[in-house]
This record gives sequence, C-alpha cells and structure tokens, in this order.
Amino acid sequence: MKLSREDLIESEATMNQMRNAIYHLQRFMKLNGITEIREKMRRMGRNIARSYVNYWIPIEFIDLNNVNNAIATIYRKILDSSVSVDVNESNQTILVKDNDCALCKYKFDDIEIAGCEIIAGLVSEMINLINEKRVNQNKLKLELMDITQSFTFGDKSCLQIYKYKFGGK
Amino acid sequence: MGAIQWLLKRITKIFGRNTSSLFYILLYREILKEINEITQNEKDSLIILREIGKRAASESCERHSSVFKFMPGSPKKVLEYFELLWVVVFGKELKEGELTYEEIPKEESIYNDYIIKIKACPICAGYGMDEEDTFDFQKIAEVDTEGLACGLCGMLESVANFILKIKHNDYRINIVEQQCIAKGGDSLRFICKIYDVAEWKELTSTHIQDKLQSDVLFEERLEEEVTQETKIDIVDRIQDIISLDKVDELLDEPLEGIKTKLAELIEDKLNMAPERFFEYFKNYEDDMIRILGFLAVHLFNEYGQYVEKILENETFAKAVGYIFKQLRDFTLLFIPIDVINDYHNLLIEFLDGLAPEEMVDNVRQFTGKDDINFLFEGAQMALENLGIDFTELKENIWEELRREREDGLIASDQTALNKTEENFPKILRIVQELMMLFSEILTLPIRVLISESHYGLKTAINSVVSEEEGLVGSIKDRIDTIFDYIQELRT
Repeated sequence: MKLSREDLIESEATMNQMRNAIYHLQRFMKLNGITEIREKMRRMGRNIARSYVNYWIPIEFIDLNNVNNAIATIYRKILDSSVSVDVNESNQTILVKDNDCALCKYKFDDIEIAGCEIIAGLVSEMINLINEKRVNQNKLKLELMDITQSFTFGDKSCLQIYKYKFGGK
Repeated sequence: MGAIQWLLKRITKIFGRNTSSLFYILLYREILKEINEITQNEKDSLIILREIGKRAASESCERHSSVFKFMPGSPKKVLEYFELLWVVVFGKELKEGELTYEEIPKEESIYNDYIIKIKACPICAGYGMDEEDTFDFQKIAEVDTEGLACGLCGMLESVANFILKIKHNDYRINIVEQQCIAKGGDSLRFICKIYDVAEWKELTSTHIQDKLQSDVLFEERLEEEVTQETKIDIVDRIQDIISLDKVDELLDEPLEGIKTKLAELIEDKLNMAPERFFEYFKNYEDDMIRILGFLAVHLFNEYGQYVEKILENETFAKAVGYIFKQLRDFTLLFIPIDVINDYHNLLIEFLDGLAPEEMVDNVRQFTGKDDINFLFEGAQMALENLGIDFTELKENIWEELRREREDGLIASDQTALNKTEENFPKILRIVQELMMLFSEILTLPIRVLISESHYGLKTAINSVVSEEEGLVGSIKDRIDTIFDYIQELRT
C-alpha cells in the first residue's frame, strides 16, 4: 500500500540529518556563485507551505485576535517547537522566539544565512494562503522582515520578525 | 527484533529533533529542486543530493559517536539491523512486515549482497500530487540512476559505514537505491553490497565532479577516518567484549548458557580464565558491586552525554540528586526484603562456577540489602563525577524549595505556572507507569532461578504475566508508554 501525504501529517521524522543538509546545500550554492541564498531559503519555505496547506491548516481564518495562537500552533504541529509570540501593534510586527529551532542548532563560521529562513518563509506564506480567499478587512497578511538571532550565528535562540498588514478588499 | 534493538530505537527517537514527516519530505523535495535549479540536469542533481545526504549524516554521526559504539560490528549484522539505521536517519519506525530482506549469494566473496525492500516509501508519498512537485524524473534518459530517495540512501550508507569504522571493521557497505516509487517502481528497494576497504577505496576514488555532466562545481571531500578512533574510553573497552547483537544473543540463553558465553568472552578478549579475572576482585567483592553501579550510570551517560549535559545546570543537578536520594531510600523501604534477597541469590548463582569459591563465599556473607547499598554507592560516585555535589544537598527537596522561594529564584509568572499545571498530570502518569514497571521487574529473579536449568532467560520472562503476552511484552508496552509520555512532555 502506498503512503499518502495525509498519512505523514501525524507521524514524526527526525530532523538531525536534514538540518545538516540545508547547510551543505548553502555551501553548494555559494560554491556555484549563487548570491541570493536568503531569498532561495525563503522560497523553499513558501513552496513547502503551498503544498502543506493542501493537507493541513491550523484554522480557517487569521486576524489580529488569533494570530499569536495560529503561529504557535503552526510551530507546534509542523515543527514540534514551543515558541513565544509577541505581537506589537504599534509598529505592526510579530516577534517569534524559538528556543529549540528545528533547522538551527549549531554555530557555523562559514554560514551567513540561518536555516530558519525556511521556517519563516513557510509560516508567513501559510498564513497568507489561509487568508487569501477571504474578503475581510481584518484579515492579516504577513511578510517576513528579518531573522535577528539564530543558533547558526551562535545566539541562544532564533528570533524571527514578521511585519503584518491588514489585507481586506 | 531484539530487546536491545527495540530499546535503542526508542531512545534514538526520543533524543532526535522531530518535526512532522510531511515537513521532512517537503523540505527534502525543496533541497532537490534547489540543487536542480543550479545543475539544470536531473541526473546530476540526484548525484549531488546523495552526496549531501552522505555528508549530512556523517556530520551527525561524528557529533553523536557514542550512540554507535554498542552497534554490531560486522557488515552482515549492520544490515540485519537495517531498521535501526532507518530510525537513526529518518526517525520514523517501519510497520510490521514493511521491510523485507533478501540475501543474494555471491560466489568468491565472504559476504553476499542484500536486497532490502520497503513497501511504503515515505519520501515518495504522494509525489506528483502537488503543483510544487516539479522535479521531473522523465527528463532522465538513463535507466540506472537512483530515485527520489537517493539522499536518504546516502544518509543510510554513511551511518552504516560510520558504525563499521568506529568498530574498526575492514569492510564497507555500498547502499544504492534500485527501485523508486516516484519513478514508477512498486516499492523502495535498496541493493547493499559489501566491499573490503581496498575495493571500497577504489570504488569511491572517482571524483564526484567527474560523474557530473553539467558545469556545476562540487567540493570534493576525502573520506575521513573516524576521529574518535584514538580516543579509547570505558565504552570502547566494554563494547569490545559485548555489543548490541551479543546482548540480544545472550538473552536467548539459559543462565548457564550466559555464564558459559561470558566465560568464553573473558577468555577470548582478556586472554585469561574467568576465575583469574574474578580473582582480581577477591576480598574486594563490595567494590565489584559498587563498580556495577558506577558503570551503569556512566554507560547511561555515554549515550550522547545527556546525563552530563543535564547536570551542567545547577538546578537540574540538584533535582537529580534529590531524586537519587529518594530512590535510594525508597528502594529499601518499598521493595520486600525477600525480593532483594532473590536478586542476591541470583548474583551468587551467577558467580558460582565463574568466580573462585572463596569469592562466592564472601558474596554469600553479604545480604541483599548490602548489594543494594553498594550499587547505590557506586552510582553516587558516578553522579558525583558527572557534576552532582551531594554534600550541598539538604535533607529533602522541600527544604531546598523553601530556600529557593526565599531567594526568589523560582519563577512565579503565570506562564510557568500554567505550564506546570498542564504538565503535572503527564508527570504523574509517567510516575505511575514507572511504578508499574518496577513492580513487574520485581517478580523476575525468582522465575529465573526456578526456570534456569530448563529454559532461557526469555522463557522465564515470558512465563510471568500471561501465556499470550508474557512479561517481556508487558514491559515493552509499559516502556513504550513511558517514552510516549516523555515525548509528549518535551513538546
């Protein structure tokens, strides 16, 4: 019997080797003169989100009231991470702090781009895809701004910053 | 599957960093697509993904080399333990009957080839159903290329060869994906070939760059010998005598058989008669038992040095210290003295015939209670080595907590409190399961003594609970549940 992707949602796989593979991919990219590695990592995350939403979404609609829970659920269900989510309404940013990032663990001196760019790409795209077809003034649109801290750079946690805007039509 | 293999599988799973399997395979797909965007050549992309998989796994193995020290040391055994390799690499267990294993006779060679078939490949699961599945196997003209699981295959090969290197074995295993579901096959199929080191060097001497048709650059890397090879620690010495596969074999033997096997091992590996070996401990029998407690803690720590890492944190070190003290008090308080004496008799029975008579007589002078105390003393010494300062501990944990509160060190914020409340029932469930497990194990020694002349240890274990399931099944289920609860607690 063949497995389907639905079958894989509830089961778990070990990331240890795949995490290393991401950094070997980055080295391969650098060696071949690829300069926009950050954008490529984010694109990988967005592509993962586009496939993932066909099998699972955390909730049908995301606005400012539930965005922190929605983000925490995505991290928990997909990445098995318990994150703290801080929504700052004054500058319309969301800070996600992950102390056990699935894609960053060790410091690499030759790497400039954190593996969790992929995760951040996934999370923002997933939220945008969930809200895409809704006509609602309160719906949120997320954009990944920056990753200011990462285990990859020797920090003690990964800190992802998203910018949100209201995207009603 | 042997008990030790099962246990190692559970431990490997619990200490790995898990995500959903769907995220894993989608990330895997994206890595392949990114490689392909650079190479613009599907065949080259598969070669590079395999190499990246190999390097990623080697890096991981080197970081956690202690885990592999108890693995079997021959290529045939490594392949027989393929499911364990699969769990190390992928983290997901295979269902019963999902993996089949076929030996292909190979003339003029010590080792045969092996075909390993996995009915349902998770990497290929649903491949082609989503718009983003853009890597196209149709573009590959050659039929002998690997498939989507080539990266996974590289990882498996790396882990297998890392084990052989760390066990100083002169053979290496080549694992190639022979059939892929995404390419139209009916299952995932690996062909595993075993080579001696000279053949292996020749086989791997072709540069990756030379295999590629496109102009991309790929950094060549010489296959390195395992750096830990020179570092001989206590686990190296023990695994020289006993490894995972040997433990499994031993469990199939009756007590007398185990004694014979141990005697053979001592003669073979230490070049001395068992009696002479045990003579070193004559008049130091109490120390011998202490060493067992000491070794138990250090062996447990050798798996990834997790104990040591946990004890680096002062608060955790104290907590573990208090738990250890409680356990020591409770053991003698709650385990019936007859049961303790049963274990003592089992120890005497075991030494009888292996160790000098005088030594056996000396052990007879001890009581079961003495044995337990010696074991705990040894374990305490090991825990002190690993960072617990027992002299700093209060009489009990409540006094410590009272002091911590005065110092204001225990967090009182709502989130931490909520988390504790949420986790408390889970902790209780773990304690409950541990208690049940403990009581099941307590019934064991007398059964072993009764059945030792007729049956193996496993027979004794299986005879305790019920004919249908046996104690071993019950213990396995209970440990499975404990691991599940711990995993739940970790998230």
